[in-house]
Amino acid sequence: MLQSGFAKYLRDGKGFEGTLIVAAVLYLLVFAAFPLIYTVVMSFQEVDMFTLGTLVRPFAGLQNYTDLFHRPEFAPIVWNTVIFVTLSIAFQLTIGFALALFFLQDFPGSTYVRGLFLAGWILPALVVGAVWRWIFAGDFGVLNYALQSLGLIDGQIYWLSDPAYALYSVIIANIWLGIPFNMILLSVGLAGIPGDVYEAAEMDGANVFQRFLTITLPMMGPTLGAVIALGVIFTLQQFDLVAALTQGGPANASNVAQYWSWQMSFQTYEISGGATVATMMIALVIVVAVIYVRSVQREQSF
Amino acid sequence: MNVDHPSMNQIEIEHLNKNYGSLQVLHDISLDIPIGAFVALVGPSGCGKSTLLRTIAGLETITSGTIKVAGEVVNDKAPRERDLAMVFQSYALYPHMTVEQNMSYSLRLRRRPKAEIDQRVGEAAKILGLEKLLKRRPKQLSGGQRQRVAMGRAIVRNPKVFLFDEPLSNLDAALRVQMRSEIRKLHKNLGATSVYVTHDQIEAMTMADLIVVLHDGRIEQIGKPLDLYRRPANRFVAGFIGSPAMNFVPAEITADGRAIALGAGALLKIPRAQEPGRKVLAGLRPEHLRLDGSGERLAATVDIVEGTGSMTFIEAKVGSELVNIAYAGTYETEAGAPLTLGIASEDIYLFDPETGRAL
Ligand SMILES: Nc1ncnc2c1ncn2[C@@H]1O[C@H](COP(=O)(O)OP(=O)(O)O)[C@@H](O)[C@H]1O
Ligand SMILES: [Mg+2]
Repeated sequence: MLQSGFAKYLRDGKGFEGTLIVAAVLYLLVFAAFPLIYTVVMSFQEVDMFTLGTLVRPFAGLQNYTDLFHRPEFAPIVWNTVIFVTLSIAFQLTIGFALALFFLQDFPGSTYVRGLFLAGWILPALVVGAVWRWIFAGDFGVLNYALQSLGLIDGQIYWLSDPAYALYSVIIANIWLGIPFNMILLSVGLAGIPGDVYEAAEMDGANVFQRFLTITLPMMGPTLGAVIALGVIFTLQQFDLVAALTQGGPANASNVAQYWSWQMSFQTYEISGGATVATMMIALVIVVAVIYVRSVQREQSF
Repeated sequence: MNVDHPSMNQIEIEHLNKNYGSLQVLHDISLDIPIGAFVALVGPSGCGKSTLLRTIAGLETITSGTIKVAGEVVNDKAPRERDLAMVFQSYALYPHMTVEQNMSYSLRLRRRPKAEIDQRVGEAAKILGLEKLLKRRPKQLSGGQRQRVAMGRAIVRNPKVFLFDEPLSNLDAALRVQMRSEIRKLHKNLGATSVYVTHDQIEAMTMADLIVVLHDGRIEQIGKPLDLYRRPANRFVAGFIGSPAMNFVPAEITADGRAIALGAGALLKIPRAQEPGRKVLAGLRPEHLRLDGSGERLAATVDIVEGTGSMTFIEAKVGSELVNIAYAGTYETEAGAPLTLGIASEDIYLFDPETGRAL
């Protein structure tokens, strides 16, 4: 009786919807909210190997933060992160935008070529990292071979082990990895601009550059904002490539905040330090996410 | 009149053909549009009106032929080099710009001084009653207001030619009638040549100085509105111009060549003698068929009656043929009632049943 009552409750719609909501909320609480809050809490506690198993630990105030700021590697790693994010986004965005504009021209086979570009997107970052390791390899890497053949360099460049190049090698690989994503989102944005608006601008006397500056760019503004915000978030998450290519080395030359956080938490077991870096990144991501949401809202306003 | 361009035509189109791949959508179009004229391109949906307008605008390339604007061949010129303004069916306003920015866009591109821009936008806004809306975005406007902004954007430029692609088709009926006369007035005041595309023959008849009837990518006839009504060149034009549409009834020229015999046994005198015994299509306009039986007579039976008070529309059978009658006024009758219809001899049109040509 009770059983059939519940089955009916599930079937008649309301119960079903309710169950779905409860499941989703439970999932979010267990796998998203709890770890997030736990990380934030840990950044204000003294955590070591002995207190790892409990939740109640001595309160440390802002000690973890001041400790972190005083570490010698703090400034270089923050600076690396800024360079990593800025350059990655700048190039992903411009190349992705250029490709999106290029594929907007309906030339024969454009859909297939565009499909090929997407192939890079479905590769796991670890695999991409492995491929770029080969490309960047000092002695037998194809990049050095190509540059030497073109007469651009004489000797070998040790892309991944030379402190001057390591960070930029990771950035190049990350740009390559991010281009398809940028291209697709920007293509969608471009497709949303009605063709007759361009025709009206053409009739009004705008040449192709003026149309780009006065129609395409402003109408893409919200999309660009959204893509940049998502790009910042994804770039701050980009762990696998660093792991696969340089592990932050040599001597932190290519280390970035997200990798450093992992190193502290899981390699050197300075767990509160790792949690502190993660917490600061969470704060940054929240700011970016707010910008993203605003952007999307503005997108719907045209 | 510019002495460098001795022609009186603003636009001259010669033997224009347009293909999309293997599909030919415009066939050997030749057309002269006099300076200052209001010309309507009219025809059923898909006949190539928009395509023709867009080739004039330069938004479509042409396959062969020439297009001249002010005596100059513009085949290879970009739209912006042709100095034509276009009002799109969808309005195509710039969604991210205010009404004012939409209207000033072309002037800003030409780097006109701010004072001149403000003055010209202000003038256009006044003509169109847009003064209070200048700071709004297109999204915050009604359909009719958007339509006005699209017109304003064209007016501000003070172009040689206005091109309109069904500018009123997205408005409701009342607004459409109002805008019709406003566009007419505007044309009178500005005096710029206008090419106006519409599928609505009433719009064409009421607005245009000259009508070009298109059908399947070919020009069927060019003429003044009443000439098209009175002297349609063929069956297509006869059926397209006039509302309700002309009735076509199979008939045969009598032995003396001076009358037609309708299937139902009626004999109607025709205006000009024809080849005796020839099979023809008789064209009878609904508004020319009289219910008092005066003129040439034919017997009919009422099938359906629809009255609006000011008009009565009757569908009647003449022999086996259905014929529509439009009667100005109220006429009470019912299905099955016998009618004696009359028509003036000079209101009878004759067409070749094969070629459709007027006889
Ligand atoms: N870009 C295009 N590619 C292929 N065919 C087209 C294209 N544009 C229009 N057509 C075809 O050309 C014909 C005329 O179209 P159009 O000029 O838009 O007609 P109208 O404006 O009279 O309704 C139609 O049969 C249409 O399907
Ligand atoms: Mg059309």
